Amino acid sequence: MMRKKVIQSLLSIAAVIVLLIVLNSFLSSFQTRIFNLCGIYVILAISMNLINGFVGLFSLGHAGFMAVGAYTSALLTMSVQTKEMNFFLEPIAPWLLNVHLPFPIAIIIGGLMAALAGALIGAPVLRLNDDYLAIATLGFSEIIRVIFTNTQSLTNGALGLNALPNIGITGSPKEAIWWIWGIVIFTVVFMVLLINSTYGRAFKAIREDEIAAEAMGINLFKHKMMAFVIGSFFAGVGGALLGHLMGTIDPLLFRYLLTFNIVLIVVLGGIGSITGSVISAIVVTIAMEVLRVLDGVMHIGPLVITGIPGTRMVVFSLLLMVVILFYQRGLMGNKEFSFDWFKKMKSPFKTKKA
Amino acid sequence: MKRKLSLLLALVMVFSIVAIGCSGGQATTSGEPKEEVIKIGVFEPLTGANAAGGALEIEGIKLANEMYPTVLGKKVELVILDNKSDKVEAANAATRLVDQDKVPVVLGSWGSGLSIAAGAVYKEAGVPAIGTSCTNPLVTLNNDYYFRVCFIDPFQGNVMANYAFNQVKVKKVAFIIEKSNDYSVGLAKFFQDTFKELTGDQNSVVYTGYYNTGDQDFTAQLTGIKESGAEAIFAPGNFTESALIMKQAKELGITLPILGGDTWETPEVIDIAGGAAEGVVFSTFFDPNAKLTGETSKFLEAYSKKYGKEPAAVTALGYDAYILALNAIERAGKAEPQAIRDALAATKDFPGAAGTVTLDVNGDAVKSAVIKTVKGGKFTYLTTVEPIKK
Repeated sequence: MMRKKVIQSLLSIAAVIVLLIVLNSFLSSFQTRIFNLCGIYVILAISMNLINGFVGLFSLGHAGFMAVGAYTSALLTMSVQTKEMNFFLEPIAPWLLNVHLPFPIAIIIGGLMAALAGALIGAPVLRLNDDYLAIATLGFSEIIRVIFTNTQSLTNGALGLNALPNIGITGSPKEAIWWIWGIVIFTVVFMVLLINSTYGRAFKAIREDEIAAEAMGINLFKHKMMAFVIGSFFAGVGGALLGHLMGTIDPLLFRYLLTFNIVLIVVLGGIGSITGSVISAIVVTIAMEVLRVLDGVMHIGPLVITGIPGTRMVVFSLLLMVVILFYQRGLMGNKEFSFDWFKKMKSPFKTKKA
Repeated sequence: MKRKLSLLLALVMVFSIVAIGCSGGQATTSGEPKEEVIKIGVFEPLTGANAAGGALEIEGIKLANEMYPTVLGKKVELVILDNKSDKVEAANAATRLVDQDKVPVVLGSWGSGLSIAAGAVYKEAGVPAIGTSCTNPLVTLNNDYYFRVCFIDPFQGNVMANYAFNQVKVKKVAFIIEKSNDYSVGLAKFFQDTFKELTGDQNSVVYTGYYNTGDQDFTAQLTGIKESGAEAIFAPGNFTESALIMKQAKELGITLPILGGDTWETPEVIDIAGGAAEGVVFSTFFDPNAKLTGETSKFLEAYSKKYGKEPAAVTALGYDAYILALNAIERAGKAEPQAIRDALAATKDFPGAAGTVTLDVNGDAVKSAVIKTVKGGKFTYLTTVEPIKK
């Protein structure tokens, strides 16, 4: 049985890779961009789901961790000339000027720095619960933003960093899809393994009932800390990828609004479901672009509707409300995708209970 | 039940991927039979924090489109996309314009950050873009495909420093800078460089106070200025906060001249600051009273006919971006991105509504600035400053 599952998982990863090869050859650059953005949101949503969904810590610090990852990776990969061009107000700190690392190492360091930030903030803050934790982490992410605005010689302040190198080693735009979706596959596999390990069971136990979990001998602080640090690592990696995809970052990009975008994806997908996060990240990102049609002039037969900018946001919000009304626990609840579904699909009337 | 639904959702997902694929396909097929249309892309913030600015520029672009609807005998079609005042969306919108709509030239945007985010896309796709009111030097630097019809912050800082030194005749200034705003930080820096040079005094900036977007109380900074012995205040920044600074300065009995940048030219400044706004001086792009070129009168006439009010400076810039694009297409002789880019790069003495445009090597407009003041609760034209010849 176990063996069968491993084979099935490997087969589905292979299927995703084949899909990527196909997509990369026929998608236009616009579609590739949206597809890559989907991937980044998948990473961000899963990392937030670990903290918020599996351990039940309501954290709103994601934008802060992303900022740490994005800035670290950007500063490590930019060339000396690009740095000098960017820092025209105040010269860059001399020790940073000549640091130049390849992209893969830079994003890992970006993730590690975010994890470090997560550990530093987690140590005092994880003693808090629910709303208090949410406020403390939200405050933390705003603090990061304000610090980055004021450290002119380190982060270039409000001017931000521009002309970040493309994702990948060769700098070719076709490479981005592999890096991003490679990291997506890694993140999903890692999270699934983590959730199904003893740690994962401990996480869920903490989510269900902290006191009972502690009585069973689970070290609450250690496990919360672990989830928080892992979550911030992936948030940092996701932030770094976002920075490189856009080619420009500034502190304003990492406002709390960014965190709420990700909260939206997680809640829509289902708190505590990796499958849900993946589906919802892709649906939300693509829907925002597809709905752009509503902003423009529409021709429905003889009827011509002049678009009002912002219509798509209204429609998008309405769709969200409808979904949440009918699926009060998100699209997937806390269920996960499994190959057993297909077996059960054949005889849906015999097995009534899902 | 849940299982079926999740499969259904997966189908919806696949369908939506196919849908964006198709929307691209349709755009190309519908473009082929109607060869006579030339598309011009516009990306502006129409929702979000900068929506007001974006709407003003769209007004100008649409007006220009009504006045000059054809080029090379073909009809011009505007493809307007909203960038939501968000960098991620700006880059998405930019990619969509060059990739799905296949526009040969793009106009926009309000806000330098949005333009920089989109700039990388245009550079990669090789499609030229004409910036409307993005004044940050980094927009066009190292990007051969970005041009603009406005002057840049170093020039604006220079103009105000010269004004402070030569007209207001002060030797010591104080700054109040909006720390989280790249525009404000940059302008203050360029003002400072010129001012130090003019006075020959390294300590001519006697006080620098900072604030964040959204701050309400500026007593600390203003008290600092009061004690510093400054003779004038330079406070470029967001209009709401700037208006509060004017108001609170008056309340504290500070009577020093207050100078600022082009963001102040919004009715909100006068609404919020009231009488305290009297006498503040700022540089901007355009004034109806400074009849700059023949195109200015045409623009003013058409604008007042359509909207029945006086145009904002950025509206004139939106108008200029459009007519410059048309002019470049005409000079290129065809609506191809590379040809348009080369034509744009060679722009010289082009008469726009907001002054004559000559593009330098970076693609920045070398043009005159207008200095305005507030008098009797109204923005009043003071003088025009000619560009510095390099």
